[in-house]
Amino acid sequence: MITAAAPFPAAGTAEAAPVVAIRDAVKRFAGLTVLDRCSLVAQEGEILTLLGSSGCGKTTLLRCIAGFLTPDGGEILIDGKDTIPVPVNRRSVGVVFQSYALFPHLTVATNVGYGLRMRGVPATEIGRRVAQALQTVSLTGFEERYPAQLSGGQQQRVAIARVLVLEPRVLLLDEPFNALDAKLRGTMQMEMRQLIKRLGITAIFVTHDQEEALTMSDRIAVMRAGRIEQLDTPEAVFDRPASAYVADFVGASNFWNGLASQGRVVLPDGQGVPTALDGEVRVMLRPHNVLIEPAGADQAGWRGNVRFRRHVGALMEYEVELSDGASLRVVALRDETLARIDVGDRVALGLRDPAACIAFPRA
Amino acid sequence: MTRRPLLLRLVDELLSGRGIWPAVPAIVVLVVVAVIPFGVLLSLGFSDIVVSRGVIVSQELSLRHLTTALADPLYHTTFRRSLTLALTTTFFCSLLGFPVAYLFLIGGPWVRRIILVLTIAPILTSGIVRTYAWIVILGGRGVVNATLMEFGLISQPLRIINTHWAVLIGMVQIHLPIMILPLIAVMSRHDSRLEEASANLGASRLATLRTIILPLSVPGLGTGAALVFTLSYTTFVVPQLLGGGNYLNAATMVYEQVVYSLEWSKGAVTAMILMATCLAVLLVFAWLTHIGTRWTRVAQR
Amino acid sequence: MKRIDGADLIDRLGIGFIIALAVLALALLLLPAVIVVVMSFDTRGYISFPPVGFTLDWYVKVFNQPVLVDAMWTSIKVGLYVTALCIALGVPTALACARGDFRGATALSVFVLVPHMVPGIVLGVAVLFSGALLGIGPSIWLQSVSLSVYVMAVMVRTVMARLQRLDPLLEQASANLGASRWQTFRIITLPLLLPAILAGAVFTFIEGVDNLSVTIFTHGYRDRPLPIELLAIVQNSNSPLVAAVSSVQIMLAVLALLAISLTIGLDRVNE
Repeated sequence: MITAAAPFPAAGTAEAAPVVAIRDAVKRFAGLTVLDRCSLVAQEGEILTLLGSSGCGKTTLLRCIAGFLTPDGGEILIDGKDTIPVPVNRRSVGVVFQSYALFPHLTVATNVGYGLRMRGVPATEIGRRVAQALQTVSLTGFEERYPAQLSGGQQQRVAIARVLVLEPRVLLLDEPFNALDAKLRGTMQMEMRQLIKRLGITAIFVTHDQEEALTMSDRIAVMRAGRIEQLDTPEAVFDRPASAYVADFVGASNFWNGLASQGRVVLPDGQGVPTALDGEVRVMLRPHNVLIEPAGADQAGWRGNVRFRRHVGALMEYEVELSDGASLRVVALRDETLARIDVGDRVALGLRDPAACIAFPRA
Repeated sequence: MTRRPLLLRLVDELLSGRGIWPAVPAIVVLVVVAVIPFGVLLSLGFSDIVVSRGVIVSQELSLRHLTTALADPLYHTTFRRSLTLALTTTFFCSLLGFPVAYLFLIGGPWVRRIILVLTIAPILTSGIVRTYAWIVILGGRGVVNATLMEFGLISQPLRIINTHWAVLIGMVQIHLPIMILPLIAVMSRHDSRLEEASANLGASRLATLRTIILPLSVPGLGTGAALVFTLSYTTFVVPQLLGGGNYLNAATMVYEQVVYSLEWSKGAVTAMILMATCLAVLLVFAWLTHIGTRWTRVAQR
Repeated sequence: MKRIDGADLIDRLGIGFIIALAVLALALLLLPAVIVVVMSFDTRGYISFPPVGFTLDWYVKVFNQPVLVDAMWTSIKVGLYVTALCIALGVPTALACARGDFRGATALSVFVLVPHMVPGIVLGVAVLFSGALLGIGPSIWLQSVSLSVYVMAVMVRTVMARLQRLDPLLEQASANLGASRWQTFRIITLPLLLPAILAGAVFTFIEGVDNLSVTIFTHGYRDRPLPIELLAIVQNSNSPLVAAVSSVQIMLAVLALLAISLTIGLDRVNE
């Protein structure tokens, strides 16, 4: 049974060994360091996302875990055992490829049964388990089709069934939604998360799409230049980014340059943001954390001119030019007052919650 | 308004590329130089002719040459020999060509470059030159005999050249590139992730080769086999040079009938039988390839 | 430490065997050419392995043999005629096949390819016979025309493949920007087709120079082309002169290969 195939220590106990542990992994290609002493731990049953822009090393890391690449240094442990000597075809790691890599000359049933066949499982047993796996991904009745006869979403589900049938210890997904159109992508993301959660599999998932990461993950590892910049829950990565890079990469951010002294930075509206830093800092202001209203006649306080505005569904987005020439993005729920603010208008700005602002040292 | 010169307007019309007529000159040439000659060849095969000074002076309908040829034991042995030789050549070319294509698939950029150079360079070289190389190697004082004698394995030079084996070795080596190129083309068209997926699902490299790479190469094998068969079945260079004058294959027979003994009707009949048997074998190849690539068509439905 | 068990061992042996076969095949492709070149420097008057000395005399002799030099020129001429004809006839045909929306466009593209699938000697014999019917004897012209018909398929196929991959929007964009069809063809389409035409030209030229199966029946008795001369001297002589002629051919092939890899790239030859 696929669903009952988890005879592992319960997740969350303090002593539970991490399912995947990567220590100081290094990988170089032609002198270029792609993984730079990268360390990472994935716990039992969690969905962990490697998030980063292209070239940050996320796919390289995934391919090292799968065994397609051998790291030049460091360790990759699965259930506490070093995997580097284990050949690719003996690792209990299932990969769902970006292109799905379904075998075009094999039917859906033979594709899904491929791994079992390679393990010498008897034919009747293969038939039973393939049927079960196809049921799990709701593809019963498609056994005799060829991959080219399926839609993108169906192909993806075959790719998932093909690895799930082997009950892998870890599931690796390499940007699996890239080939799908935007609408289907949202549905498949939720379906995939529910399926992985239901089966209780540990999954590592690679994407460059921050929204996808926020939707899918239990924890997100933001990668940059071959290192993990921050590893935390989606909320924490969004609300308490560890660096200006993360703040900028996950969710839109404004940065305001200021001076910190005596444990705080004073923003133009007079409120203070607590910080341990001293001297020149950049303060992250999320667009939804900035208040905007039509400025009255009084010229005091934080003021600016609306340079651009647009409707984003129920939200309004403004770009406000400040007196020092910098610009600030502001997002707010649309209401009567806001709808009146037009391009060129003078507006008053304020901060909703100074505690949600974070100061970073200026680079 | 500018008046465009007639010529330019004509060119425009031509370049719109919607009509058949950019192809018309080629069609005319093909009809005159290929279609009509084939008709002539057929008509000659079915008639009695008199040739004088390279020009046909009289022609009348007759099935004599065809029936004589079909009953002639010399034709039977010659065509059987040619067919066996060509099929064996095709077999050995697949046997050696597939591993090269596999090496190309798994190899790095330098391995790939070397393979491409070594397969394309022979195609750019004359078949006669490449056959000549085998005379140098297999001849009485050639590389093989010299080496064997040097190591004291033999005291007299072996007679290798002018045997069936010499012809077969030469045939395989000369047609090998023609087998490798289509295989490489087909293999490099497939998603490189397929082999990784196969390994990830637990297949050894050998199992991946058998269950994924080989079935996906069938179209390339089919093309390669068809090309190698056609060329090796209808060549006379290798049998002439490596088989000595006494190794008669169907192509050599056509050549001798047409050029030396000037029996044109006989030559036409032999050429017709050569083409018909060649087509028959190609149809069998095509049918086998068809079976091996059922998935591509099912998928299109 | 890598663990090696039974299944692993079989896998390694199997793959090792296949790679060994591949290496054997590659050696088989390379060694004969190397041996010929080595033998062409031998000082003895007959071929005998291993060579005992080094001389360039045979190469000097090759270029002092009027028969060979004439044959080379004849073949180069044939190669140029064939290439010119194939470009003039083949490129428009490829355009019609790839772009045409007339009935039978598919049939046409098959029709053009047929002569190349027919064995060369059958085409050669057929052309010889029908020439004889019309009173046209073998000549450099008959040879060039029949070779063009034989290899035009290569040109049509390479150009068509390129055309099919070409974005048709490019030409529409050009028209939209005000270019006439001739301007579009000259400035947009032709430059994009050039690599394919070049690749086709290399192969039609080589075929014009090297082909034996069609040539042997259609060449002129006075303008004897290189393959005919080569066949004659290979059959009748055992001197390193033949090796020298062959080496010249091999070196020309290597030069052609270099030209291809510098212009269109080796990996695209196979498309």
